[in-house]
Amino acid sequence: MPEPARTEPSRPERSDADRAADHVAIDGLTERLLPALMAKLSATGLGELEVREGSWRVRLRRPADGAVRDKRASERAARTAAGHHAPPPSTTLAMTPVGPGRDGRDGRDGSGASGDRRIVATSPAVGIFQVAADKRAGTRVRAGDRLGVVDMLGVPQEVVAPMDGVVGASLSESGDAVEYGQELVVIEFATAAAPAPEA
Amino acid sequence: MFRKILIANRGEIALRVLRACRELGVEAVVAYSEADRESLAVQLADEAICIGPADARRSYLLAPAVISAALVTGCDAVHPGYGFLSEDEGFAEVVAAHDLTFIGPRATVLERFASKEGTRRLLGDHGLPTIPGSDGMLRDEMHALGEAERIGYPVLIKPSAGGGGKGMRMIRTPRELESSLKVCRSEAKAAFGDDSLYLEKWLDETRHVEVQVAIDRYGHGVHLGERDCSVQRRHQKIIEEAPTPALGPQARQELAERAIRAVVEAGYENVGTLEFLVDRSGNAFFIEINCRIQVEHPVTEMLTGIDLVATQIRIAAGEPLGFSQADVRFDGHAIEFRINAEDPAADFRPGAGVVERYHAPGGPGIRFDTHLYAGYEVPPFYDSLLGKLIVWGPDRETAIARGRAALAELVVEGLITNVAIHQAMLANESFLDGRMTTNLLDRVGSAAFLAAAARS
Repeated sequence: MPEPARTEPSRPERSDADRAADHVAIDGLTERLLPALMAKLSATGLGELEVREGSWRVRLRRPADGAVRDKRASERAARTAAGHHAPPPSTTLAMTPVGPGRDGRDGRDGSGASGDRRIVATSPAVGIFQVAADKRAGTRVRAGDRLGVVDMLGVPQEVVAPMDGVVGASLSESGDAVEYGQELVVIEFATAAAPAPEA
Repeated sequence: MFRKILIANRGEIALRVLRACRELGVEAVVAYSEADRESLAVQLADEAICIGPADARRSYLLAPAVISAALVTGCDAVHPGYGFLSEDEGFAEVVAAHDLTFIGPRATVLERFASKEGTRRLLGDHGLPTIPGSDGMLRDEMHALGEAERIGYPVLIKPSAGGGGKGMRMIRTPRELESSLKVCRSEAKAAFGDDSLYLEKWLDETRHVEVQVAIDRYGHGVHLGERDCSVQRRHQKIIEEAPTPALGPQARQELAERAIRAVVEAGYENVGTLEFLVDRSGNAFFIEINCRIQVEHPVTEMLTGIDLVATQIRIAAGEPLGFSQADVRFDGHAIEFRINAEDPAADFRPGAGVVERYHAPGGPGIRFDTHLYAGYEVPPFYDSLLGKLIVWGPDRETAIARGRAALAELVVEGLITNVAIHQAMLANESFLDGRMTTNLLDRVGSAAFLAAAARS
């Protein structure tokens, strides 16, 4: 059946110029202000930061699941200080990287327990997994190192090592569809008592 | 028809959509947050995929995660349920851009009806009476004060986006308006990401009556009668019923016919609900359209025997409606009680916890749509709806009697629920006489309401 012609009344409200101005403002905040605030929040012990700029207000709150997040924040800070690149700021709010691993837990089951001397890096997003080419089994990694990415609708989300150690078994292969929190790469503890293969 | 549908929601509605998919012979994948791993929808689904953490902004509200989940599981359509992304035209557009079908109106249609203020104007042009209100969105304080003066106090501040009472406030004086604008803007911004506000004349002692419509993509539409949702607490519906006791059969039919004519002319498609406020004299004013399946849809299903979720899915798949207005029959009376994890004795404070014991009511005319089971841990992150008890009877008195019996049978232990407020309502004279107005509960206060019911 053909579709009848329908009236297309214009939508009143805000002008294109208003919208464009908002978009510029949001881009500015996202690219400039947010990374700076995130660094500040990570570096301090503060729970929450709020900044007003023009008619915009940005509030950053540290998630309630303190311990793991704090640890990760310090890991990231340490990584940045050590000269590694911080993850690039995302350009749209909706695409903000969702961060490493599952909230408050590093492994789905007991495999993360310290007694096992291994921990599993989990998926930060739902999408397609790609293993980092330079992180084969046996490679020594530091907490926060990129082990691969999960492509969520064209935006790569980093899979990072939850601790210092040696890359072990890969539980998913490149090209696999993975869900949020799925276990992807095993990291074995590397201590003085149990040196990593190449050490 | 679709091959596989991603259900991008949680709770009872995820289950409701899953059941509709089963009935239609369509595969379904339930998308869930970490907090919902043990949910009934996830357990009953053939396939489920975790899309993010408990925080809805990083799971159920994160469009890229939802769409990515649909793509990696091989779905060809996304059902948004209600709330979350269900009325987000931007989301509908991105869904379509990935060759997936958004189960609801197409993005172009959603966009046309996205602004409440614009929709009032559009449907006003197509013959629906509207409440006197501000000329467009409020630009600033001066504009707001001027418009409020013109409309006459009291006025109601309303956000252009969203619903559920967030960002809404009744204002009696210019001074109150000055102090409330900012708060309402930030509430609207936080809840809907859009801080545009407008003003409406405040109508006292109103009834909330809404008309359910279903329109296919070829402009063929029917109304499925109206529902009365006057029992509210701070603009949140608690009890819904059909037919409305506020209007006689003739007035009900006229309202529904006017509504369907206007939305078909305005180019709406799929299922939707037009909300009206009805004043003491029986005048109905159009307030807004909901472009999605609604929480209270079962009330209409009980009366008409039409499966609204299946109809919604079939329309989105491009199927013709397949029936006409003459085929729609209305039989009896139905009432829905929203069972929430809220404490009516403590100002409806929401609760969470483990369901220790659970028993669902049964018998003739009883339907209980819920995601509860014994041992289920209700997560604290989302809305407090635990289930919907829907009772049907050949007339309102029978429906009320069945409602009383069913509420008494319902067992949910381990959590505080609002069952007491429903029982109190079924002992309230205004309700029993069908004279309830939207301010009934707020005016009396829930504690006083419960106490009065206990005395009677």
